[in-house]
Parts: sequence; structure tokens; C-alpha cells
Amino acid sequence: MQKKICMLGGFAVGKTSLVRRFVQSIFSDTYLTTVGVKIDKKSVALPDKTVDLILWDLAGEDDIGSFRVSNVRGATGLVLVVDGTRAATLAVALTLRERAEAEFGAMPFVLLFNKSDLADRWAISDSEINELRQLGWQIYLTSALSGENVDDAFRQLASMVTK
Amino acid sequence: METLRQLLVGREISELSRVTHLLDEPEQLATAVGGVLPSAAARAHHAQLGEALAPAVERAVQRSIQKSPRTLTDILYPVFLPAIRKSIGEKIDQTFQSLNETLRHIFTWHGLKWRFESWRTGASFSEVVLKHSLVYRVEHVFLINRNSGLLIAHVTADNATSEDPQLISSMLSAIQDFVKDSFNEKEQSSLDTIRFGELRLWSEVGPFATLVAVIRGNPPEELHEIVRDVLLRIHDEFSQALEQFDGDSSQLIGVETQLQTCVELKQEDSNQGFPWLVVAAVLLILIPAGGWFFLSWQSGQRWQAYVSRLGTQPGIIVAEQKVRDGQFYIVGLRDPLAADPQALLSGTQVDPARVHSQWQFYQSLEPEFVLKRLTASLAPPDSVRLSIVNDRIVAEGEATATWINRARAAARQLSAGGPEFDISRVRDVSPEEREAERWQAYVSRLGTQPGIIVAEQKVRDGQFYIVGLRDPLAADPQALLSGTQVDPARVHSQWQFYQSLEPEFVLKRLMASLTPPKSVRLSIVEDRIVAEGEAPDTWIDRARAAARQLSAGGPEFDISKVRDVSPQARAAEHWQHYVSRLEAQPGIIVAQQTTRGGHFYISGLRDPLAADPQALLSGTQVDPARVHSQWQFYQSLDPKFVVKRLMASLTPPKSVQLSIVQDRIVVVGEAPAAWINRARAAAQQLSADGVALDVSQLRELSLAELNHLREAIQATDIFFYSGKAVPGPEQMPVLDRLADQLKEFAQNARKSGVTARFMLTGHSDATGRETANVSISAARAETVRALLNKRGVAPDLLLVRGAGTFEPAVPENSRTGSSTNRRVSVTINLE
Ligand SMILES: Nc1nc2c(ncn2[C@@H]2O[C@H](COP(=O)(O)OP(=O)(O)OP(=O)(O)O)[C@@H](O)[C@H]2O)c(=O)[nH]1
Ligand SMILES: [Mg+2]
Repeated sequence: MQKKICMLGGFAVGKTSLVRRFVQSIFSDTYLTTVGVKIDKKSVALPDKTVDLILWDLAGEDDIGSFRVSNVRGATGLVLVVDGTRAATLAVALTLRERAEAEFGAMPFVLLFNKSDLADRWAISDSEINELRQLGWQIYLTSALSGENVDDAFRQLASMVTK
Repeated sequence: METLRQLLVGREISELSRVTHLLDEPEQLATAVGGVLPSAAARAHHAQLGEALAPAVERAVQRSIQKSPRTLTDILYPVFLPAIRKSIGEKIDQTFQSLNETLRHIFTWHGLKWRFESWRTGASFSEVVLKHSLVYRVEHVFLINRNSGLLIAHVTADNATSEDPQLISSMLSAIQDFVKDSFNEKEQSSLDTIRFGELRLWSEVGPFATLVAVIRGNPPEELHEIVRDVLLRIHDEFSQALEQFDGDSSQLIGVETQLQTCVELKQEDSNQGFPWLVVAAVLLILIPAGGWFFLSWQSGQRWQAYVSRLGTQPGIIVAEQKVRDGQFYIVGLRDPLAADPQALLSGTQVDPARVHSQWQFYQSLEPEFVLKRLTASLAPPDSVRLSIVNDRIVAEGEATATWINRARAAARQLSAGGPEFDISRVRDVSPEEREAERWQAYVSRLGTQPGIIVAEQKVRDGQFYIVGLRDPLAADPQALLSGTQVDPARVHSQWQFYQSLEPEFVLKRLMASLTPPKSVRLSIVEDRIVAEGEAPDTWIDRARAAARQLSAGGPEFDISKVRDVSPQARAAEHWQHYVSRLEAQPGIIVAQQTTRGGHFYISGLRDPLAADPQALLSGTQVDPARVHSQWQFYQSLDPKFVVKRLMASLTPPKSVQLSIVQDRIVVVGEAPAAWINRARAAAQQLSADGVALDVSQLRELSLAELNHLREAIQATDIFFYSGKAVPGPEQMPVLDRLADQLKEFAQNARKSGVTARFMLTGHSDATGRETANVSISAARAETVRALLNKRGVAPDLLLVRGAGTFEPAVPENSRTGSSTNRRVSVTINLE
């Protein structure tokens, strides 16, 4: 069983780093912006079956105008990534999701507030996160640097898309 | 009782009779069923409904075709056309490929071999060529879900390797999407060939799945068809499973066997031997038979050629000849001095053993035989030449008196019957006389040599004496002797060396002593020696000394045309050359320049659009490290530069042309009113600077008939619910109409030579945070763009921006927010 998953979020929020942490268990703090699409694969063993997640890491766009929606075609799940040290990236992630859903209909997603290791520069209030949790959304505070919650988030999405 | 029944179930009874009535009346029943049919069909189980309807639909289609085939053709036309076009394209490629291969091989050794094979097997030549030259192997086949790019199945040929097929499949579909997006390709066409060196990726696109074959080598075009067939069969067999594919391939197990047929496709270099044995056997039979006929005919021919050649030989008379039983017989007369008939046989390829000849000797009186006999008996000296002139034998030249007497006796003897022998032209010469003549020739030759002066010469007792002066650079008198036939042993010469002052000797000596540099050329002009070119001052000093020395009696040595170039002087010259080059450049003004301590300083003004002074340095031989320049930017008012700037700042539409006419810039053509206003403003500004920009010939684009449509479009708004980026269903008719209007406008604008672009501006109400408002307004515009695109408006005509709350349609009542302000508006830009 394979599923196509898309990583969506503003630029430099850590999409590529999260994929690398999840697939290869490594982290690097040099920033190489993604151009176009980068594709990776990871098998996740769930209690009843094994899923191959085909992860499409898309170039981050803060300007919704240049976002290539066509890359999302056929995806069964989204990973929305927000940089917890830049509040504005939340709106970007949500807008990207709206664009994708306008084109291809609703689909399961997880929302990651990344860079949780940078506590001193954190810019998102707990109340804001709780409000979103009220909507029934799956939300994780992750760090590609330490690996915190990264596996859990992807596993959660894997089980959501195989339901 | 009846009353009771009426009371209890009266209503049901009347209802029942109404229903019964309805079922009995076909008219009414039809109306009732018609009302529920669409929703009933929608709710029915898909598979069963399909089964039930299939026969009826088939019959309906059949009837429709019988009645009017056109209707169905029109419906299917858009489906078939791309397929037909593609297949014709491939057919042409295929033909070209076979033509190319045929031409390439037509004259090679392979070519001959393959011709033979085509003759043997009855296949056409080009088929045979293709079979041998298109060597390929299908190594992998991927079946990829069209929607998600997920891998459905993958098959590999034996011992071919690859990276993770699931990753490859996703990447391939990402590439396909990328190409389609970037080049604005239509949905039907797709990237069907990719090449990486030896590998080719061929993809065939079906409704639900794409089949990609990875081929190593050089596949024939027919392979496209084979691959397409496989894809078609897969779609036939598994259409439902393919349509519903969600990443789980367990429903599609059988697909792999179909794909297997693809990877079994290959054409390997076949190495069939050439049928040497057959050819050798045929040759063995043919050669001897043909050879025998040919040889007997040829030997008869050769004999005849030999006989007629003997007939033309002087001193040979053929009396009789015949051929019998392969033997040749010949009888005749011959002069002993004539050519030997036996010797003439060699080279004719007539076998001497089969030739039987009988020759009688006689003395021929033909002049050439007489001449030969005279030459043998008189032995004339080298200085006498005998020749035949009009059948007479003539002797010419010089000879001693004794020889002349013997010749005269022979002439008398011949006079009886033979040809005349004329010796009147032989001069009587004794050897001494001849030698003296040769000596004089030698001496006069010496006299004409430059650099040699003969003072005295004489001949005594067969010995020759000579005295004189010679320049060491002149020709050697001894060497001049050879070829004159004067015996060197009898020559006694005495030469004094001296320096000749003839210009060419002086020139030679100057070249040797001064060793002028390559940049100096010495030449002789009217007996003067002239030096021209460039040299360092030290050399010029030496040359001047030499000139002084020569002035006593020798030719003049003129060095006034040699320029003094010491390195500094040369560098300064290069620098001046560079500066004058800069000054000639438009848009560059040199204000100041100096040379100090071997360094160059320059300052001035330059236009940013002018040539780069640094770049102009290259090729001037000025050392850039020693150049110190200071340039201030300024805007040149040279019309050429002004035009460049205007092109960049005004971006004139295509229908407008800028040109320079006698230092004035003239703008001609048609443009939208807004652009004309900008051009006018620019003209005003420039006139203050003294540059004439003539916009009087600009005409306004007449788009009056479009004004109505433009107003209608710009008055249209698409509205949204609070917090939504997608418009509600009630907006769909508005979008439909807007799309039609945009298409009509764009088309009409294009006809008048302008491109119309539509700016979709998203707006939001003032509730919530501004960043969220800006991004939702942009997302609204984006969505409208996608929706208009779906309705056939070309995406490159649609521009998108988000205005957030900054451009509200109505002033906002901050508590509730305004539904009027949550909208996307349209404005038209003409270019
Ligand atoms: N401290 C910290 N830094 C992170 C974390 N995740 C990513 N980064 C850093 O953030 C920068 C951007 O990371 P990327 O993964 O390249 O971001 P991206 O979203 O793929 O960026 P684009 O491809 O340009 O859209 C890099 O310098 C990373 O090292 C994290 O969890 N903690
Ligand atoms: Mg990236």
C-alpha cells in the first residue's frame, strides 16, 4: 500500500529538514532552499499493515500566487508545517491548505509547529494552538533538530490516510 | 356500518382510488415516473444500473448511427483527432527512420550483405537494414497512476538494475507535471520521450495510468504501437481497479504478466554468417567456361594487331601471313637495322612458341635507314647533328677538316639512287678556336657581376690568365666556371679583396654589423639605403654612427624614418591611443588625463548604457594594473541613449516604433490612451533637457466598441462567505458569464493588436488579523483564477493580487464586517 503525502508550508519552515529527520534520522543546520519538488519514501509499519509514504517535499512559497497546486494532485494527505518562531507562517500554511482543498477537495492533514527547540524565540501563544485543537485538528510541536514528535506526527498521518 | 367505515378509513380509500387511477392512466404514470427518474437513477447501485442500461444504450447508439452518422462523429471528433494526429506523426517518423538507416548503409560492406539477405528472404531492403541497425532492449516497464504518480506495477528485464521504482515513478510524474505547467501544454499531449545517453524513456498516457518503458539502445518507432497496445489491454481488463486505485495494488496482480510482454521486447545484434560456400561454388563453375571462350577470341585479335604493327614498321615488308589450328605463320623481307620482329612479339601476349616466321635480309633506301648506316660509318663528333629534312639527310654544326672530307666522300657514293646527303652547313672548327670563344664568354660574364672588377686577362699557350678585384660578398669566380666548359686546370686567376660601395653590398654589410630589430626594415631606394620602422634609442645611435662612417664616398644611409620607441614612449603612445578611443565613444566624456611615474590617471563622465571603459582597455596593450580611473555616471542626452532609456522605462507596446530622425526621436504607431499620456509626459520632461521627442504621430487605439464590454467586466464582483477562499455555489453563474466576457474581450483586443490582461484583485473584510486578511484575499484571487481557467480563460492573461482590507468597496462597519467587501474584482490592463 502506498500513499502520496505533500509537505506544505512557507519557505525555510523546515519541510526538507523534517523529511530528512524522518527518513534518514539526520539533521543539518545549513539551509538549502528546495527548488521544484524533492521526493522521498519511507515505509511505516502500522499495527494492521505497512504503508509506503511517498513524500513530496515542495518548494516553500510565501507568495500564494506562485504555488504549483498541480503537485498536490492525487495526494491523500498533507503535512502543514509552521515555523514556530515566525507567526506569519501559520497563515501561509492555512492558505496553502485552502488552495489545495479548493482544487482537489478535503483530505486528512497534520499541522506541525516546527523548531520547538528554539523556545526563547517562540512566537505562537499556547492559547492560539489550543483554539486550533478545539477544531479537532491533529497538532504537534516538532523539532527536526532534536527529532521530537517527528515520528509520531508522520505515523499519525499514516494511520489517518489508511482509514 | 358504511358511515363508520367512511369515518375510519374514508381518507385512505379516496387516496387508494387516486393511486389506482394514476397507475391505470399511462399519461399520468409517465408524468409521475418522469419526476423521480433522475434521482432514482442517481441512487441506484452503479454496477447494476450499468448492466441494465447497457443493452438499451447500445441499441440507441446503433439507431443514432444509422439515422445520421454525423452526430456521433461530431461528438467523438475531439477524442479521435489528437490520437489520429499522433499516429500520423509517428508514421512519418517511422518512414524517416527507415529512410535514414537505408541511406546510411547503402554503400557499405554491410549494405551488400544485407542486400543479399533481402534478396534471399524476400523482405524489403529497408526492413533488413532496420532489423540489423536498431539494436535495443526494453529494460524496465513502469505502470504509474496518472492522478497521484504512485507506482502500480514494475517489471524488470533479466539483470537490469534500477533505483527504488516507487521513487522513480513519482519523480517521472513530477517531471511530466512540470513540463505541462511550464510550457502550458494542453491536457491531451504529454512528454512522451526523455533521453539520458544510451537510455530512452518512452511514455504512453492512458485515461488512468501511464506506461513508461525504459529502453537501452535504438528502438524502432513501431515499439510505440506495441507499448500502446499493452496499455490499452491493461485498461480494458482492469479499468475499474485502475480508476479506483488508491495506493493498494492487490487488485491489480495480473497487470505484471501484461507488462512482462514489454520487457521481453528486444533486438540483439544478430550475427548470421555470409554464405561463402554457395558463392564459391557458383564462381568455380562459371569462371573456366567463360574463360575458354574469351581466350580463344582474344588470341586471334592479338595476332592481327601484331601483323598490322609489323606492316607499319620501316624496313619491314610482310609478304604473307596465315593462321591454322591455333598456329601463326608469317613470311617477308627486313633491313638488318629495322626493328627485330621477334622482339616486337614481346608485349603483344601472342605466344612466341606458336609463331613460325621466315625473314630475308635486304638494304632499305628509306632515309632513316640510310641515316642510321651513315651515323655508324662516319661517327660524327658531338658538335655535328644529322637529321632528315624533306627526305634529304642534312648535317649541321662544327667539325674538324678531316671529318668534313670523309663526309664528302660518303655523299658522293650515295648520289647513285639513294637520298641526298647535304654537308654544306658544317663549319670547319679547330679545338683551340672553340676554347678561346668559351673563355671570352666567361670573362664577359664576370664583368657583369656586381662586386667583381676584371683588371686584366689574356690567353697564352692554351692557358688562361685573369687578374682583378672582388668583394668578399660577391659571387665566387671559381664557382661561375662550372658549366662554361672551360677547363679549370688551365685557368690562373689572382683576385684582390676590396669593399664594394655598391648599395646592395653596403646593405648586406649593414645588416651583418647593425643587426637591426625586427621592427626595422632596410631597403634600397634610388641608390640610397633607407631604414624605416621603430627601434630603441640605443640602436638608433649605432645606426647614426654607421651613417657617418659611410658618408665618405659610400651611398647615403637614411635613418630619419626610424621612430624612437623606448618602452616608456611606446606605453605612452598606447595610452594616447586608448584615450582617443574613449573620446570617440558616445556616452563617454573624458575630463582629464595624465601620465605620471609610469601610471595613467583618467577621470570623466559616463552613461551607464555606454561601453565599459574597462572593457575597452583589452586589446590596447595598456597594462590595466597601471590605469587609475574615476568615472562619474551621468545621463547622456545622445538620442541613441535616450531611446534605450525610453525603451526600458516606457516599455512601448508592439504596435509602437521609436526611431531617430535627424537627432529627433520620433514615436509612431497606435497605443492605448494611458500609454500615450505617459509618452507625452516623458516628452515634456526631455524637452527641458533639450532633447526632442516627437509624439505627435501617435494615434490612440480605437477600442470604442469594447468600452461597453469593459465596463460590464469591471462592474463584476465575485463574493465569498466569511473566512472562505472558495466562492459559494450561487456565484457559479456569475463566473460562467464573466469567463465568456473575458474571452470575448481578449479576442477582440488581440484583433486590434493589443494584449488584454485581467487583474483579479482579492479583497477581505476587516475582521481578523491583517496578515490573515492579506493571504485570504490573495487565495480568493487565486481560486477565481483557477475557476476561470477551468472555464477556458488562458491562465497567462490572468494576473492575481491580494489587497487585503486596503481597497474596500464600501466603508466598513467594523463590528460585523461587510459581505460586500469579501470579493474578487476585475480590472483590465491593455498592453
Ligand atoms: N533549530 C532548528 N532549525 C531548524 C529546524 N528545522 C529546520 N531548521 C533550519 O531551518 C532552515 C530551513 O530548513 P529547510 O528544511 O531547508 O526548510 P524548507 O521548508 O525545506 O525550505 P524551502 O525548501 O526553502 O521551502 C535550515 O537552516 C534548517 O537547518 C528545527 O527543528 N530546529
Ligand atoms: Mg525545502
